[in-house]
Amino acid sequence: MFSKKTTEQIECENRPSHLGIKSFYNNPKHRGWIYQSFLFLFLIGFFYSIVSNTLDNMSAQGIKSGFSFLNTSAGFDVLMSLLPFQTTDSYLKVFTIGILNTILVSIIGIIFSTLLGFIFGVAYFSRNYLIKKIAIIYVEIFRNIPVILQVIFWYTVFNALPIARESLNFGDTVFLNVTGLYLPLLVGESGSGLVYSALIVAIVSVFLVKRWATKRQEKTGEQFPILWTSLGLITGLPLLALLVSGVPFHFDYPALKGFNFRGGITIIPELISLAIALSIYTGAFIAEAVRAGIQSVPAGQTEAARSVGLKESKIMSLIVVPQSMRVITPMLNSEYQSLVKNTTIATAIGYPELFTVFAGSVLNQVGQAVEIMFMTLVIYFCINMTISFVMNRFNKRSEITTR
Amino acid sequence: MKAKEFKPLPAQPAPVSTIGVIPWLRNNLLSSPFNITVTVIIVAALLAIVPDMLDWLIFSANWSGETQAACVKDGACWVFISAWSQQIFYGSYPDGEIWRVNLSLLLLAGVIASSFALPARLRNKVSVPAYLCLPFVCLLILDGSYIGLKEVTTDLWGGFSLNVLIAAASIIIAFPFGFLWALGRQSDMPFARSVSVTCIEFFRGTPILALFFMGSVMLPLFFPANVSVDKLLRVWIILVLFMSAYMAEVFRSGFAAIPKGQYEAADSIGLGYWQKTLLIIFPQVIKVSMPNILATFVMVFKNTVFLLVIAVPEMLQVIMAALSNSNWLGGHAIEGYLFVGFIFWICCFSMSLLATSIEKKLDTSHKN
Repeated sequence: MFSKKTTEQIECENRPSHLGIKSFYNNPKHRGWIYQSFLFLFLIGFFYSIVSNTLDNMSAQGIKSGFSFLNTSAGFDVLMSLLPFQTTDSYLKVFTIGILNTILVSIIGIIFSTLLGFIFGVAYFSRNYLIKKIAIIYVEIFRNIPVILQVIFWYTVFNALPIARESLNFGDTVFLNVTGLYLPLLVGESGSGLVYSALIVAIVSVFLVKRWATKRQEKTGEQFPILWTSLGLITGLPLLALLVSGVPFHFDYPALKGFNFRGGITIIPELISLAIALSIYTGAFIAEAVRAGIQSVPAGQTEAARSVGLKESKIMSLIVVPQSMRVITPMLNSEYQSLVKNTTIATAIGYPELFTVFAGSVLNQVGQAVEIMFMTLVIYFCINMTISFVMNRFNKRSEITTR
Repeated sequence: MKAKEFKPLPAQPAPVSTIGVIPWLRNNLLSSPFNITVTVIIVAALLAIVPDMLDWLIFSANWSGETQAACVKDGACWVFISAWSQQIFYGSYPDGEIWRVNLSLLLLAGVIASSFALPARLRNKVSVPAYLCLPFVCLLILDGSYIGLKEVTTDLWGGFSLNVLIAAASIIIAFPFGFLWALGRQSDMPFARSVSVTCIEFFRGTPILALFFMGSVMLPLFFPANVSVDKLLRVWIILVLFMSAYMAEVFRSGFAAIPKGQYEAADSIGLGYWQKTLLIIFPQVIKVSMPNILATFVMVFKNTVFLLVIAVPEMLQVIMAALSNSNWLGGHAIEGYLFVGFIFWICCFSMSLLATSIEKKLDTSHKN
C-alpha cells in the first residue's frame, strides 16, 4: 500500500540531472548562502582596505598606535572635576573625569526632564484651559528647536548676568553671577553620625509602615495616611537627633573674597546651561510620551473609577498613570538614551564632559583618533545599556503589578 | 378604589446655560478654588511678561537700516538679521551664482510636489527615480565644474539652504539603505541579519556629534593617501549612514504593521521575493510609516545644526560668525538665536502638524 508512489514523486525522482544547477540556485536556502558569501567577501575586502589604509596613513603621519598614551601627563587643566585634578595627571585621569562629568549631567538631566515631562504631560489633561494651553505650547516650542541652539541660548543668557561684585543675592546664602551659581554647603561636625543614622532609620521605617499599611488595606479596606506619616517620620526623627546631639552642623556660606566667591558649592555656568537645555528639550519629548501613554488608557477605566466613587485626583494617580506606564516606560527609555547622547553638545559651550575633554582636547594633543573614539563610544554604549537594562526591569515590574 | 390620578411633576428650573462666554469661563478657568488660583497666577504672569516681550520684539524694535548705527531704539535689533540675511540663507555662495542654490531648492520642492500631484500609475515610475537622482543633480548644479558653470567649492556653501539641502539629500539616500537594513534585519539569513543589526545598533547608539567628529578626523584615515574626500561629502556619508539606521527602525515597525495575510497572499500567487517586497509590501509600509518618516526627517533637520561643531558653515554657525564681526559687536546674540530658533520652529512644527494629520487620516480604529 505504501509502496505505491504518486506520479509527482516519480516525476521528481526521474527529473533529468541537467536541471541540477538551476534547481540548486532556485532553492531559497542555497541562494541565501550565495548572497551571504558575497556579502561576507565584500565586508572582508571593505575592512581590509580600511585597516590597511588607516595603518598606511598613520605611519605616514607619524601617529603611534596603542593605548600607552593613557599614562602620559595631560598638561592641561580641566574646567570642572569631581575628583582632585592637576595638570600633571595622566590622560587616563582625564578620561575618568570626563566619564564622571557625563554621568553627573546625565543624572541631573534625567531627573529634571522626568519632572518637567510628567508635570506637563499630565497638565495636558487639566480642566483648566490655560494650563492645558501652556502644556501644549511648552511641548511644541521646545521639541521643535534644535537642542544645540537651546544650549547656546541659555549660555548666552547666563553670560549676560552681572559680575561677581554685583551678583544676584538671595538672602546672603545663594549667589548667582556670570561665573556661576554659589550655594551654601552643609558641613557635618563630630556627632553628626547620629543624625545620619536617624535619617536612615526614618527611611527604613517609612518602607515598613508602607508595607504594613498596604497589607492592612488589602485585608480590611481601611486606609492609613501614609504620606503624612512618612513626612513626619523623615523630618521628625532627624530633627529629634539633631536636638539631642546639639546641632553638630554648620553651613559653609559662599563669601565674596577678592574678585570671586570662596566657600560653599560652586556650579559652573556651563553645567547649568547644559542641564537646563537638556532638561527642557528632553522634558518636552517626555511630556509628549506621557500624554500618549495616558491617552492609551481606555476611557472606560476612568469612567469605571468614577462610578466607584474615586476622587478625580485619585483616578489619575491610582488608575490611569499606573496603566499608562506600560506605554510610557519604553518611550522614557529611548528619551533617556537620547539625552545621554545629547550631552555631547556640551562641546559647543565647553562643559568638560567625556566627549569635549577626551575626544576634543586629548585627541587634539595625541592625535590617536581610532583609539580615542573607540574608548569614547564604548562608554556611551555602556551608559545606554545600563539605562536600557534598568528601564526594562522597571517595565517588567509595572507590567506584573498592573495586570 | 380610586383610579390613580395623573399628577405632573413640578417643572424643573431651566438648566444653567452651557454655551456662551460666561459658562465657558466658569467651566474652563474657574471650576474650582484651585483652578481659580492657578488662573489668577497665570494671568498675572502673562500680564507681567507678554507686554514687555512684545514691546522688545516688535513695537520698540529696530526694523530698518543697514548698519549697527541704525539700532537706536531700546528693542531688538532686527537690522542685524536683515543685514546678514544673504549669508544666513546662502552662506558665502558667490553673489552672481545664488540662482543655482534657488534652482536646487526649487527642484527639491518640485520633486516633492510631483510625488503628491502625479496620478498613481506614474507616481512610482517617475517620482522614485526623480527623488534618487535629485541629490546628485543638485550636487552638479551647486558645484558647477562638471556642467560648464563656474566652480563653487563646498567651503563656500552654507546658511539655511545648506541645512535644508543636506538634510533632504541624506534622507533620500538613506531610504534605500534603511530599507535594505530593515529587510536584512528580518530576513532568514543569519549572517545578513547580524550585519544589519550591527549597523543599525551602532549608528543608533552613537551620538550624532561623535559621528560627525569621526567623519572629520577618522574618515580621512580610511581612504587611500592620494584620495582626499571633501569635508561636506564626508559629512553627507555620515548623515546618510546615521539616517539609514533610524529609517531601518521606522521601516521595521512598518513591516510589523502589515498583516501576515499580505505576505501569504503574495506567496500564493507565485510572486518572487523582490516582487513581493517591492510590489506588495513596500507601498503599504511607506503608507503606514509616513508619520514616522516625517518625524525622522524633523530629527535629521534639527541635527544639521550640530554641524557647527566641526565648523561647517550652517545657519547657526553663520550667525555666530556674524556676532563676532567687528562691525556688529553690539551684542545681538539673542536676536540671532531667536531668529534661527524661529525659522527651525516654523519648519519643524509645520512638518509635525503634517505628520499628525496623516496619522489621523490613517487611523481608522475606534478606540476609546
